[in-house]
Amino acid sequence: MIPVLGLMAGLAVGLFLDPSVPVWLQPYLPIAVIAALDAVFGAIRAILDGIFNDKVFVVSFLSNVVVAAFIVFLGDQLGVGSQLSTGVVVVLGVRIFSNVASIRRHLFKA
Amino acid sequence: MTGERRPDASMTLLTTMMERPLDAGYQEAADRRVAAGLPKATSTRTVLVIVLAILTGFLFAVAAQSLRPKPTAAAAIKKELVTRIEALQERGAQQEAKVASLGKQVRDYEALALQQSGGGDLTNTIKSLEVQAGAVPLKGPGLTLTLDDAASTDTDANAGNRPSSGFQEGRITSGDLQIIVNGLWGAGAEAISINGHRLSSTAAIRFAGQAIIVDFRPLSRPYVITALGDPQGMQQLFEPSFAGVYLSQLTEEFKVRSSLALGDALTVPGDSAARLEVAEPLGSPVGSSAPSVPGSQKSTNNPPPSTGASRTPTSEERPQ
Repeated sequence: MIPVLGLMAGLAVGLFLDPSVPVWLQPYLPIAVIAALDAVFGAIRAILDGIFNDKVFVVSFLSNVVVAAFIVFLGDQLGVGSQLSTGVVVVLGVRIFSNVASIRRHLFKA
Repeated sequence: MTGERRPDASMTLLTTMMERPLDAGYQEAADRRVAAGLPKATSTRTVLVIVLAILTGFLFAVAAQSLRPKPTAAAAIKKELVTRIEALQERGAQQEAKVASLGKQVRDYEALALQQSGGGDLTNTIKSLEVQAGAVPLKGPGLTLTLDDAASTDTDANAGNRPSSGFQEGRITSGDLQIIVNGLWGAGAEAISINGHRLSSTAAIRFAGQAIIVDFRPLSRPYVITALGDPQGMQQLFEPSFAGVYLSQLTEEFKVRSSLALGDALTVPGDSAARLEVAEPLGSPVGSSAPSVPGSQKSTNNPPPSTGASRTPTSEERPQ
């Protein structure tokens, strides 16, 4: 419950402060959001599986975001930024879907 | 979900993705903690988790706000201009109403002053001249002619949004309005207003780009021409006249929409821009001492253009 409140607080702070993101950072934001979503759903599933570990959560979150950003950066440098971004979105999207499916089985037994 | 590694674990991306979407690190960490005699899961309320939750929310909010398409600077400026124009138009309308009410007050005082100074017979002259000059609102029977652009010229979608250049044949032009209004005058109209703007003897129907401007005020479609006068007589005279034939040609050739309606109690407003331009003294002054001088009586039979609202039709330049 407390992490959910933290998430809300972060959302409120972000909406309220509305910081301006530098232009060079903007291409990484969508991928970073998807990577973060993947880590969050993974953590929820781990909680339901009873094997949650805070350090693993933090490390997986940070590495997800960093690797996703790095892939986009590398793709931009190589001129295949959009294709690599698509690849990242597909992989993380599949993971999100199967994690959510598992969460659903835990919660609704269906 | 055991700690065993399949031989192809590092190679088959799809297998990993589909069968083990959960980060393998969770299972390994749990196994380690079990081996160390601790419970499998850690608490979800550690500082690390909460800090990361706040960070995640912040990331979501920032990303959503910075990636949402922002209104461009031009759109913001346009919106501000529209607001200012609307505010000024509203203010203009208020001032016009004030002018009209003050003008009525002035006329009442004029009539009163004339009565007190013994020139009460001038009041009727003033009234008839005011009617002719278009300075006062009028009410009576007449015609209502409604004109609108052809339905095909995508005018219904964006009303009031006229292109600044180019020609579309289905659109009413200022020339059309001029011909039709002149035809109505010729058919015996006594007072005409377009979309609530009274046409006085100096009012001009002109164009700017493709917008029609009557008396320096832009009109938007549809154009409602109200003409006071004998309805049947005007209709009989108007329809076979040049303007009537012109209008029926517009309707047939270019599908311009027009409709004519007779009315018993139509109103046209007064021209709020009417003001004194030429004044001449009467033959003899209407003094406060002489209640009824034969000379002044005589001059009323031959009214000079001297009353407050009379305007010379010849003056072409009218400063805004």
